[in-house]
Amino acid sequence: MIGIEHYVVVSSILFVLGVLGIFLNRKNVIVILMAIELILLAVNINLVAFSAFLGDLTGQIFAMFVLTVAAGEAAIGLAILVIYFRGRGTIAVDDVNRMKG
Amino acid sequence: MSSILIIVFLPLLASAIAGLGNRALGNTVAKSVTTAGLFISCGLSWPIFISFLTGAAEPTVVPVLQWVHSGNMTFDWALRVDTLTAIMLVVITSVSALVHLYSWGYMSDDPDQPRFFSYLSLFTFAMLMLVTADNLVQMFFGWEGVGLASYLLIGFWFKKPSAGAAAIKAFVVNRVGDLGFMLGIFGTFLVFQTTSIPEILAAAPALKGASTIGFLGMRFDTLTILCLLLFIGAMGKSAQLGLHTWLPDAMEGPTPVSALIHAATMVTAGVFMVCRLSPMFQAAPDALTVVTFIGAATCFFAATVGTTQWDIKRVIAYSTCSQLGYMFFAAGVGAYGAAMFHLFTHAFFKALLFLGAGSVIHAMHHEQDMRYYGNLRKHIPITFWAMMAGTLAITGVGILGVFGFAGFYSKDSILEAAFASGTEMGRTAFWLGAFAALLTSFYSWRLMFLTFWGKPRWSQSEHIQHAVHDEHGHADHGHDHAHDDHHSHGEHDDGTAGYHPHESPWVMLTPLIILSVGAVFAGFVFSPYFIDSEHFWQGAIYYNEHLIHSMHGVPLWVKLTATAVMLIGFVVAWFAYIKDTSIPRKFVDQFRNLHAFLYNKWYFDELYNLIFVKPAFWLGRQLWLKGDVGLIDRFGPNGAAWVVEKGAVVARKVQSGYLYSYALVMLLGLVAAISWMMVQ
Amino acid sequence: MDFAASLKLIAPELLMSVSGLVLLLVSAWVGDKASRAISVAAAVVLGACFFLVAPAVCSGASGPDTLAFGGQFSADAFAGLAKLMIFAAGGAALVIAPAFFERFNAMRAEYPVLILFAVLGMSIMVSARDLITLYIGLELNSLAAYVLAAFLRTDDRSAEAGLKYFVLGALASGILLFGMSLTYGFTGTTSFEGIRVALNGEMAMGALFGLIFMLAGLAFKISAVPFHMWTPDVYEGAPTPVTAFFASAPKVAALALTMRVTLEAFGAQDDAWRQIVIFAAIASIVIGALGAIGQSNLKRLLAYSSINNVGFILIGLAAGTPAGASAMLVYLAIYVAMTVGGFVAVLMLKDENGNSVEAIADIAGLSRTRPALAFCLMLVMFSLAGIPPLFGFWGKFVVFQAAVNAGFVALAAIGIAASVIGAFYYIKVVKVMYFDEPADVVKGESDWAHWALLAISALAISPLGYLLTPWLGNLADKAAAVLFLGV
Repeated sequence: MIGIEHYVVVSSILFVLGVLGIFLNRKNVIVILMAIELILLAVNINLVAFSAFLGDLTGQIFAMFVLTVAAGEAAIGLAILVIYFRGRGTIAVDDVNRMKG
Repeated sequence: MSSILIIVFLPLLASAIAGLGNRALGNTVAKSVTTAGLFISCGLSWPIFISFLTGAAEPTVVPVLQWVHSGNMTFDWALRVDTLTAIMLVVITSVSALVHLYSWGYMSDDPDQPRFFSYLSLFTFAMLMLVTADNLVQMFFGWEGVGLASYLLIGFWFKKPSAGAAAIKAFVVNRVGDLGFMLGIFGTFLVFQTTSIPEILAAAPALKGASTIGFLGMRFDTLTILCLLLFIGAMGKSAQLGLHTWLPDAMEGPTPVSALIHAATMVTAGVFMVCRLSPMFQAAPDALTVVTFIGAATCFFAATVGTTQWDIKRVIAYSTCSQLGYMFFAAGVGAYGAAMFHLFTHAFFKALLFLGAGSVIHAMHHEQDMRYYGNLRKHIPITFWAMMAGTLAITGVGILGVFGFAGFYSKDSILEAAFASGTEMGRTAFWLGAFAALLTSFYSWRLMFLTFWGKPRWSQSEHIQHAVHDEHGHADHGHDHAHDDHHSHGEHDDGTAGYHPHESPWVMLTPLIILSVGAVFAGFVFSPYFIDSEHFWQGAIYYNEHLIHSMHGVPLWVKLTATAVMLIGFVVAWFAYIKDTSIPRKFVDQFRNLHAFLYNKWYFDELYNLIFVKPAFWLGRQLWLKGDVGLIDRFGPNGAAWVVEKGAVVARKVQSGYLYSYALVMLLGLVAAISWMMVQ
Repeated sequence: MDFAASLKLIAPELLMSVSGLVLLLVSAWVGDKASRAISVAAAVVLGACFFLVAPAVCSGASGPDTLAFGGQFSADAFAGLAKLMIFAAGGAALVIAPAFFERFNAMRAEYPVLILFAVLGMSIMVSARDLITLYIGLELNSLAAYVLAAFLRTDDRSAEAGLKYFVLGALASGILLFGMSLTYGFTGTTSFEGIRVALNGEMAMGALFGLIFMLAGLAFKISAVPFHMWTPDVYEGAPTPVTAFFASAPKVAALALTMRVTLEAFGAQDDAWRQIVIFAAIASIVIGALGAIGQSNLKRLLAYSSINNVGFILIGLAAGTPAGASAMLVYLAIYVAMTVGGFVAVLMLKDENGNSVEAIADIAGLSRTRPALAFCLMLVMFSLAGIPPLFGFWGKFVVFQAAVNAGFVALAAIGIAASVIGAFYYIKVVKVMYFDEPADVVKGESDWAHWALLAISALAISPLGYLLTPWLGNLADKAAAVLFLGV
């Protein structure tokens, strides 16, 4: 029998993977965008699992909102990335440090 | 008796006007206001004194203002006028008024005259507050006020490093005494639950030997310990042996200051205080023994040192110290009247000597070393005769039963009282006092002979050379300087270096003449009142009927001792400084160690340097370098600044600009928060 | 509660979204020619919303009458007061922008629209009484903000600021969302009221995780340490009008939201979040102050200053009392005035070619070349440092007072001690302006709108501001009371 804790564990693993993806990755900003999607995915799994477990629709509605927003977020992220690439000619994470201190 | 308000507060007002107006009002206004104020005070003081002499006046207390009412601690500003106060009033206001007048001449070239006169008047006000105090706290106010004025005046020429040092020394040494005084006041309040002097004196005799008090972890007789603490205060102010070191250095101040503060008035505050509290001291015999011993020891010590000094003011300063010793051992054997009488006469002749010395110094272009004086009696005759009157007074010249100068009556009665007291300490004091009288005579005549007799020895003095040089420089304007020097040195081989001392102006001579009258007649006129009249005192001091009685019954040789030693001292001085001037040199060669010991003032300064000053400096340096710099600064301000500086560097390093490190910090924060909550 | 009443309650938000969409269409059709007109229109909309909200603030509206859509949205006095500040800051961002962007030929019609949508998002944030509403508002604000940060497309630093803000903001959103999902899972509801009821008693471990994750996400928005890392870079890189906007309006919104979440939703579990808030407060004050030392860029300095100030505001939250919440609102109002004034002053620093001057070294001796500007900047700096008699002192004072009255004497003492470190770099700026040899770099003329805004801000933070204290304190008290109705 698969219980709620299994879902939570899976989503937690996904969340941690996503977070690790953000700061272990030193190559490409695109990977970071994917990692963010991973985090949102973890959240959605959580929401839907809890929703089903609690017998409450709110979680699933919430998940729909998250999906929508995630789409918009990805679009804006890519747009900014494009601007950045135009200016600097690179999207390597290590190069994104003109401002510091 | 409300004239007392004017007497006390007029000098304060004058001081404020002169001090606050300062240069805006100018020298003349400042000098006129302060001097006029003092003469008015003086003019109002004498009637009070005379009314006490005639027995017309009663002791009164004039309330001024409420001061402190806190719990059972109550004291107000009030002016007490009784015989003791009246004596001090005339001494203070008379000498102060004359010194103000004298300063018109002595300070005429000084650029800071308003400040000087303001300080002088401020001092007078504080001293008057001290002597009119009805409670110990007001007395302490005056006590500290005169200390402050003394500090300001010693350091009046603050651009001179030695003056600044002397001022600080006077202040610091006096702090030691003041600590004792304060502890004494605290203890008195603790025991009697009041600071009112009459109430304390009324309650003190009942406590005689009846109670003990814990002090420094041991039990002592209450009154003994209180009196000793108060006496420490008196020792500081009156420059008694141990706390005397500041007085000779205080001569760095202008000479009128030395005359007023360090001879006639402030230094006698200790004697005044002991007399004021005489019923209390009388109830503490052990304390009185200490007072006698310290007084006699100071008397002897200062006289020995006085015989070897060259600086004319220092000789008189040690003389003052010695005379104060007389007063204290008079008080110690219970002859408070004699002590006050000597205070009274001493004020006149010592002020006279100082002002005379000032006149000499003025004439000799600020040369103070007696080795460069000589033969001055022909050049400054009025000063000479004034100094002569002072010397006759201090050495106690007089013929028993006929007439004597001021010191003759007061000093003789002190020695008689010491002998008549019958105690062992009294006898010791008598012999020490008698020997000191011999020395007094010797050093006083030595001063006179060196200054006014013999051949001029002025040419050695740098001050005189400067003066001569300046004069010639002005006269032979345009001549070659080298030629000029040669000329002046070559021509005068009579020791005068071509210098002509001038008699001081009349503003300086008038006070000398007035004081001379006091020095000559004060003893003769007032002796019956001070010594023999219980009615005169009206209970202001403890009057020892028995002691007075036995004083009159002392053997004749005791009465003649003072006169005899005075003559011996005179003869010795005459031989050494007139007859055969090589004797002092031979003596010094013979007793090199003794001379060095005396000349260096018994090495007190060196001893204190070793015991107190150096360790204090060492401790101070340790606290400064290790404690303040090493600990407080290092871990305090500087440390905090260092941490902030390093923290700023770290904060900026962490802000590396890399996305992943930012994310890492966020995650670390998250993990830390979770861990913290899990641990909770 | 019928639908019409709900619509009436969200009238300002409705007005903003409808007019935002219309203006977006206009900008698409007419193009950048209309950018000034659209700016004016957006400012008018914000002004209208300001007056729509004001009555609720003045009357101290609270209770069921203020709840729209089944309790998902609340138009109470607390939200109202926060909105007033947000609208004012948004309006300022609109007014100061054209003069800046026209210099780079970058004044685009999208700018006022994006500001309008960001303000709308914030407006929803502060009114949210449900996790979903919260999320929608937050994302609406964030997405607009990401674009605004990178608005100066030709500028490398602006693009980098946008990228950094986006990545870290998305991460923070993810953390916040994860926390919300956990909270939902362990309380069974997304409504603040429901969460409060569900958490009355022992707190489940999952809900505790949810709380911490949510606090972390919110801490990012208010740039509290250790979630502050983006702030200096984004503030420096973003175009100055945008930075002024970032430093003022979203701070108010995020802090108001944080207050709602902690005091309303998790109000029964204040022991759980208080220690985190205390840590974040102290860390923000210290790191903000340390980071500012040694900065050579004025915008970066002000960024650290905002971190520092957030720390002080969080002290009021740590108190957890109505007085503390009221103090936070008062501080926020003063902070908005100081921040707007500060950034407008920075905006007015231009060299002879009209380029921005941001280096502190370049404003040396400003008092001699531009005395009025230097004086206003000095007022801002002293006020930020909390030196009486400037108004910035009052904000710190009420916050510390609330903390002390709530028994957090040590916290207040640390805050006061740390504010001394902060004073160092503020005063350094003043020293450079007033005592150093003139660098003679600042030469450009300033727009009248900038002068007007600067004058208003300077007047507000001057000692005259104290005249406002009774009025401001009264509004803040009424607004703060709303949060404690359920207690």
